[in-house]
Amino acid sequence: MDNMNNHPFWNNIFRHKDNAVTTVCRLWSDTPLFSDIPKRYILRLVKNMHPRFYKKDDIVFNTGDIGAGAVLIKSGEIEIRAGETVLARLIAGDFFGEVALVVDEPRTADAVASTDCELVFFLRPDLEEWVHSTPKQGAQLLANISRVLAGRLRHANNMLSAQKD
Amino acid sequence: MFKISEMPLLRSLFIFSGILLLAALSAYLLAPLLIPIILSFALYALFDPISNLLQRNGINDSLSAILVLILLVVICVLGISIVFPMLAEQLLLLQAKIPKLWIFLSEFSIRIQNLLNSYGVEFDPNAITKPVMSASSEWGKDAVIRLSNMLINMTTTVILVPLFTFFLIRDYKHLRNRALDLLPNKSFELGWLIYYRVAKKLEIYIRGIILQSGIMAIVTSLGFYFFGLESPILLGTIAGLLNLIPYVGPLLAMIPPVIIALGAPVFDPMLIVAAISVIIAAQLIDNIIVVPALIANAVNLHPITVIVGIIIFGNFFGFIGMIVAIPALATSNIILTGLRNGLKKDLLT
Repeated sequence: MDNMNNHPFWNNIFRHKDNAVTTVCRLWSDTPLFSDIPKRYILRLVKNMHPRFYKKDDIVFNTGDIGAGAVLIKSGEIEIRAGETVLARLIAGDFFGEVALVVDEPRTADAVASTDCELVFFLRPDLEEWVHSTPKQGAQLLANISRVLAGRLRHANNMLSAQKD
Repeated sequence: MFKISEMPLLRSLFIFSGILLLAALSAYLLAPLLIPIILSFALYALFDPISNLLQRNGINDSLSAILVLILLVVICVLGISIVFPMLAEQLLLLQAKIPKLWIFLSEFSIRIQNLLNSYGVEFDPNAITKPVMSASSEWGKDAVIRLSNMLINMTTTVILVPLFTFFLIRDYKHLRNRALDLLPNKSFELGWLIYYRVAKKLEIYIRGIILQSGIMAIVTSLGFYFFGLESPILLGTIAGLLNLIPYVGPLLAMIPPVIIALGAPVFDPMLIVAAISVIIAAQLIDNIIVVPALIANAVNLHPITVIVGIIIFGNFFGFIGMIVAIPALATSNIILTGLRNGLKKDLLT
């Protein structure tokens, strides 16, 4: 019975979403994606986001999957892997997969739960609907996404340069 | 050993069949409410931008849904009090003319028969006209009963549709999220992606085709009125509705105005030319201005697929089937492609 209560399938259906909203709102507002966006707008968006539960060693996505959006870690730990190599270990408050918010491209790495996790998906339809209803904040968010992606690109370039040297 | 899990096409067809079966079962169970539900979704696609506009100006979800409901009720009341009586009046006028119209058509066909016989061509117009005439006169006799039944159904629809549309505008996104969140973790993103692609295409198509139909109804009504054809609003409304059916609709739209022109008190061939010209001109406006601006390539289906789909859906589900054929085919196409690509990737990784 206890095992059933902890199963991701049942947790995904019978979750306590309302309690989660304020925590998720705080976590997102602390990320660079939502800098300079007032909390009341983030709260409205977070209400439509998608909390999901993963057990240890569950695959969140694989390289080559077409992504639907960004993922925030509410609790637990996620490993970003390229093959056997661990590229990053992410903890609560971190987010990943944000490229999928803007392009229909395949994921470039694997994301695996290294502990039991609660993740919150922020999907492209959520972003698009939010941009339509609050265009000013939407423009700010798109600018933030661009900054984050530029930062990731700079980081990748630096790593490549370091490998060459 | 044969394993379905290793065959993406077969697996996607299997899942697709399941979705189709579920859709068919839902359609069967909801049969009495199917038309109000389809209309409500169409209106939701049309009015959602208005709700978004209100929310953009600081009005909350519920209040914006109420304001859209008020707008819908106003449109329905205006429709019932102004357009329906006008259409009913023109329909009754048309019904009164039907016997005279058939006499004229009989005489006309006899003239053609005589003309063809004089050239030695055997032609018996009765073989074509008799079944049509008997069916039409039956229809004509029942027109008043049909009209009253139609008005009763329409009244129910007119009450239900704004109500359903209100709840869709207020709660659709929430209900959709709850339903899609039931997907297992493995297919969660794939499910959302397929939904997103289907929803975007359908939204553009439905919104475009409703506006296109309205524009066609207005343009043809004005054209028929300008050339002095009887019952111009009724004929324009029929042309607008038939325009919902791609390729076949515009051809069918020519039939009612031509019949009315043939039944004019004084036979005037120019009136027939004018009736056809109005439809052709409206189609030109549609193809050059309206379609590129409103619909563009919302559904990338081959014309042959469209025509075959319309014929098959029309055969099974009548006029409504002909209208929903294109969105249904486009949806199936996206779901199948999405499933096949998603499942193919599953096997590669």
